[in-house]
Parts: sequence; C-alpha cells; structure tokens
Amino acid sequence: MMKWLRENLWRHVVGIFMVLFAIFPLYLVVISSINPSGSLQVTSFIPREFSWKNYQMLFNDPTIPYLTWMKNSLVISVSVALLSVVISASSAFAFSRLKFKGKKSGIQLLLLIQMFPAILALSAVYVIMERVAVFAPHFGLGTQPGLLLVYLGGAMGVNIWLLKGFVDSIPAELDEAAKIDGASAMQTYWLIFVPLAAPVLAVVSLLSFIGTFNEFILARLFLVDMGSRTIAVGLQGFIGGQYSQNWGPFAAGSLIASVPIVIIFLSLQKYIISGLTAGSVKG
Amino acid sequence: MVAFFRGKLAFAFKAVLLAGISALLVLLLISALGQKQYAIGIFLILVVIGLNFTYLTKVSIPLKFFYPGLIFLLGFVVAPIVFTLTMSTYNYKTGNYIGKTEAITQIQKLAIEPDASGSTFDIIVGKYNGTESAILASDTVKKQYFISTYDKRIDLNVTDIKVNEYQVATEASNFKALADAELAGADKLLSTSRFFYTSEFFIALEGFDVGALYRQKLNFLANQDAFQNIATGAIYKDNGKGNYANVDVPGEILEPGWRAPVWFENYSKLFLDPKVREPLIRVFIWTVVFAVSSVLTSFAFGLLLALALNKPIRGRRIYRSILILPYAMPSVMSILIWGGMFNTEFGAINQLLGTDIAWFQSVTFARVAVIVVNLWLGFPYFYLVSSGALQAIPSELNEAAAIDGASPRQIFSKITLPLLLRILSPLLIASFAFNFNNFNLIYLLTGGGPKSTLDGDIAGATDILISYTYQIAFGSFTQDLGLASAISVVIFLLVASISLYGIRKSKVLESFV
Repeated sequence: MMKWLRENLWRHVVGIFMVLFAIFPLYLVVISSINPSGSLQVTSFIPREFSWKNYQMLFNDPTIPYLTWMKNSLVISVSVALLSVVISASSAFAFSRLKFKGKKSGIQLLLLIQMFPAILALSAVYVIMERVAVFAPHFGLGTQPGLLLVYLGGAMGVNIWLLKGFVDSIPAELDEAAKIDGASAMQTYWLIFVPLAAPVLAVVSLLSFIGTFNEFILARLFLVDMGSRTIAVGLQGFIGGQYSQNWGPFAAGSLIASVPIVIIFLSLQKYIISGLTAGSVKG
Repeated sequence: MVAFFRGKLAFAFKAVLLAGISALLVLLLISALGQKQYAIGIFLILVVIGLNFTYLTKVSIPLKFFYPGLIFLLGFVVAPIVFTLTMSTYNYKTGNYIGKTEAITQIQKLAIEPDASGSTFDIIVGKYNGTESAILASDTVKKQYFISTYDKRIDLNVTDIKVNEYQVATEASNFKALADAELAGADKLLSTSRFFYTSEFFIALEGFDVGALYRQKLNFLANQDAFQNIATGAIYKDNGKGNYANVDVPGEILEPGWRAPVWFENYSKLFLDPKVREPLIRVFIWTVVFAVSSVLTSFAFGLLLALALNKPIRGRRIYRSILILPYAMPSVMSILIWGGMFNTEFGAINQLLGTDIAWFQSVTFARVAVIVVNLWLGFPYFYLVSSGALQAIPSELNEAAAIDGASPRQIFSKITLPLLLRILSPLLIASFAFNFNNFNLIYLLTGGGPKSTLDGDIAGATDILISYTYQIAFGSFTQDLGLASAISVVIFLLVASISLYGIRKSKVLESFV
C-alpha cells in the first residue's frame, strides 16, 4: 500500500489537478447554458435550476440568426474542405511521384510561401478584394464566395504540404507497376493514386474543415452583414464585450457549435497528432 | 474505366470544362478591364492563356497537375505577399488613399471659400432656354434677381419676373423650373454644380432652395503640375511624397494627398521615428516574452502530465480523453468563454478566488490572464507529443542507468530530458513561431488592452506585433497600410528565419532517429 502511494499518488494528483483545470471552463459553459437567468454570474457552481430557455432563444429569437450563422459556417467550411483537397491533391501527387526539373526548389519555395502568415497579408488581401468587388461584386469584399476564394488560396500551401507528407508514406510500387503497364500519369493519378489515398484525402479535408470553421479574422473582415456571418464572427459580435447580457445564449450557442468539431477532432486524433508533428500547429 | 480516360468522351468532357472555365474567366476579364482594374485584368489574361496552353498541349505533364493549385497560390497567397511588399514602399494611409488625378479633383473641389459677407440667394432649379441647367436666384434684401447657368449670368428686371409673398422670384421668361420628380434624379449632379456669378465667384447649391456665393481658393496650373493660391499667390508643388506642398513652407500640404512611392521611408520610420519606434519596441519585447512563456508553461505542464501518466495507472484513459478537450474545442469559442470568466464583476475566476481583480484593466493581470489562457489552450498539445516522445525513448537506456545506480531524478535530468528536448525542439520552435503570431488569442481576449489612447498611442499592454499591426492597418483612428505592410514584412523575416532554423534542426534529427 505504501509502495503504491509512493509510486502513484503524485501521478493522480497531477492528473486530477490538470483535469480540473482543463474541464473548468467547459463545465462552466455547460451550467451557464442551462441556467435560466442567462447571466454570466454563477450563483453556485452546482446547478440548482435547469432550463432549455437559452437554447430555445437561439432558435426562436429573430435578433439572433443563429441557424443562419451555423449554415454559413457549414457551407463555407464544407466547400473549402472539399475544393481545397480536390485542388491540392494533384499538386501533392506531382510533388511526391513525378520527376521534373526544379522539383526541389519548388518544394522549398512552397515551404517559404507557406511560412508567410496569412494574417500578415491581410491588408493586401483586403485591398485586392476591394478592387475585385469593383468589377465582380459577387466575388469581392463582403461576399461569401470571395471569402471562399481567399480561404482556398490560403489552404493550398498547408494542404499540399500535409498531403505530400502523407502521400510519401504510401508505397510507390503500385503506381510504378501501373507505369510499366503503360498507364499515363493522369491514369495513374485517377485510377491508382486517388483510390489509394482516399482515407488520407478525407483526413486532410476534415482538417481543413476544422481550420476553416475556426477561422475568425478574415471572416470578420469580409462578412459585415448580420445574415452572411459565420458562427465564430456571429457569436463574437453577439456578446461583443457585453458578457453579462447575452452570456446564457452565447454559452448554449458555442456548445452546439463546438460539439461536431470536438467529435471530428477526437476521432481523427491519431492523424492530427502525426500531421502536427510534421511541423504545423493548430490555430 | 481506363477507356474513359483515353476515349472521345473524356476529350469532350475536358473540352467542355475548359471552355466553360475559360468563358467565365474571359467574362470577368472584360469587366475588370472595363472598370480599369488593369493589374487584375492582366493576371486573368495570363490565367486563361496558361489554362488552355497547359491542358491542350503536351508541353509539361507535371504542370497539368500543378496548374489549379498554382493559380490559387499565385492569386491569393503570392499576389498578396507581393502587394504587401509594394504597399510597404508607399505612403498608403489615411489622407493618401486615392490616385493622383482623383486627388487633384478633390483638392479643387474642397479648395473653395465663401465670400466675405457670406451671401446667399433663394433659388429655384430649372432649365434656361429649355436645355441649359440653370437657377433662378433672388436676393430678397437687395431686390436683385438673375438667372445663372454654368457659364453666364442673365440679370433680370423686377418686371420680367413673378415673385411670391416673400419676394422670391418664382417664374421668369425663358426659365422653366424642374418638377419634383426631376429634382430627385438630378440630385447628385446639382450638388456638384457651380453656377456663374462673376468671373471670381460662383454659386453652389445648399439644398434645392438656397445657393451660396463661393470662390475658388486654389487654381490648378496643369502645365506646372502645381496649385496656386489665388489670394496669396503661394505655389504648392508635388513634393514627391504624395502631396502638394507649399514651396516656401514645406510642412504646409494640401489635403487629400495620393498614393505615392516613398521607398524605404516606412522601414526607416520603424527605426528612426520615435513615435513609431518606441511602441514597436515595447510591443516586440512583450511579443517575445509572451511567446516564450507560452511555450515554456505549456511544455512544462504537458511534460509533467506526460510523465505522470506514462505508467498504466488506473483511469489513465479517462484522464487522457478529458485532457485533450481544450485542444479539441474550437479555439475562438474557448477564448471568448475565458473572456467571460475573467470578467471583473461577474466572472467565475474572481468568484472562485474570492477576489475582485479588474483583470483586463491592469497591465500585469491582463498579461497573466493571457498566458494562463494560452496555457490552457496549449498544454494538451505538448502532453500528447511528449507522451509520444517518451515512448520513443528506448527503455533499455533507463534500465541500464538504473543498474548503474542512477537515481530516478538523475535518470530524468541526464537521460530523459535531454533526449526529449532533442526530439521536441523543432516542435517547440514551431510553437514559438505560432504564438509569435497568435492573433486570435490577443484580439478576442483583451483586444490588446489595457491601453491609454490619450496621446494617440494605439499599442496596448498585451498587444503583440501582429495585433498591433492589425490596429495600424485597420484601426479606428488613422489607418496606415504602408507602415503596417512594412512591419508585416519584418515580422515575416523574423518568423521565417526562426522556422527555417527549426526545420534545419528537424532535418538534423531525421539522421539521428
């Protein structure tokens, strides 16, 4: 018994302490979301009352277009997730499997470009899209398609890089065999590579989904209308410093929005960790 | 299936897709050129040519794979970077947003002054001789009546007109008043129109019933590219920095200015202008302190956890699945939640501690709060990677050391920790680079505050370089895209060199592991 205490007690102490730290804000959000008063003030850390009022407010109050925000976020994130992978997969394939002049410098250039934090080019993106809006109002500043284009561009570097890393680990024998049988590069890509890499493509597109869902500042700069906002921008504007007033519905709203992301994240844990060790950190 | 990729069907499919995309791009291109957006137009031309060239010829097979990704990278990543570089050499800021020709028009429009006595007239807007825009003006005090068009004035006798009970002329020969519906349509035109009074003075409308007497203060001398003050004779010339400045008093400039290249002025300001340099240094130091302490605290707590849970103790799986939650939550949401928790009056933190600290009003507390929140966001990551790394260290090493009589503490400090640091150092560096630019955290948690904006200093106590740059570019006081771009370029150089160093380290590692 004493030996067990000496060996394991500190482990549980550390574990419990960190678990409390980790879970405290999450617990707080849960109890705030079911607290009928809807205020930030927690009268007691153990809930005495229970109500769905805050959740109902999200869906029924016309001043909180929560469902629209959610829909916007989903439409934009799903589009980015699918399109960015479709576009970047072929580049990753070429980097990983084709032989051509300037391949090495191409990879290095990609790495360098990717290091320019998107947020630093924010003012440039803003001015460029402002100009696009002059001649193509549907793709410029203030529109979701415009934001989507910018996201796609931004996702390219990271996705090509991530996909290339994953693809390098798929054995090349199969596509070499196909090549010997006379398949063209295009055929190898569509008939051998894409089916083989399908799980990897799915993982990377889910990662893009999470990243886009979580993106804040571009969305905030681009989407001004209440009805075109994403969930992150919408909820931020909704509490907008006035924490005390809208806390209850905010807590409920952020819980609902977080659940799908947490589920995706936990189910992809393994890949995310290996993707992260490959050199990028989640935003 | 294979046949599909070789057959006529495949070719037809490709042709339709190519034609469709080309058509869309050409449409965009035409309207871009129509709106004089030449840079974007040229980019689109090259995209269309490149597209058809790549997929209709056999010039390069890899290019067929790269083309779509390449275009997106060029359009939305490379172009903004190049544009940032360009902007950093321009005086692109509040007061210098527009082009030069526009600025000249603006200066002319703004450079008017009312006559000394501030004369006004009652007016009716209409047409002279059926076609010319004109006003029927009445000076009810002096009983002076006239019709004025853009280039002439026709004085009227009292007998030529009909007046109402206020002695305002309502009708005159050859003059027809505009109907209300016509007025609404002509609103914009009329508000910028100048009606002739004398060669020096003109009448500008102030609403549809009143006109005031103004004269041009500045005259544009097109052949000299200069403005002349009509009253004083002072000459304002292009000072090469996007403004017309008084030749005798260089500080006296005409507003607005225009975008003009100032070359390295934005960069030299970073080092030489104390008003820019001092907040920048302050912010830079805090950025480094913030990034280093975030990485160190997250790593320390993550490693401690990894060590604690490195044995199959009871409940390890439960610990693990809860500990990963902060990392799985969308960070925007968690940061906002923390923001509420640090609220002074109602926040859970003060309630838990039994204090009433104004977290975001005090420099020290705000900084502590920022680091605590970042620790919460970051420790699960280091817990996960440290656990992985601990498992990668061969257990023989520890066993051998134990047999040689090393204490557990010695084993940790002499073997485990050095090995861990070696494996994890690229990740620590990457994490440093990430936190260096952790905009969301600062922006959403403290907004950079606390700050005192009394003397125009917009740098707050928790502002890091990136959030400070954002304020310079998009802030509510003045916006200086040129300076913000210059700072962006400097940050990029810093972060890129740190990351490259990290990557080189990880390359070295690959040969070890």
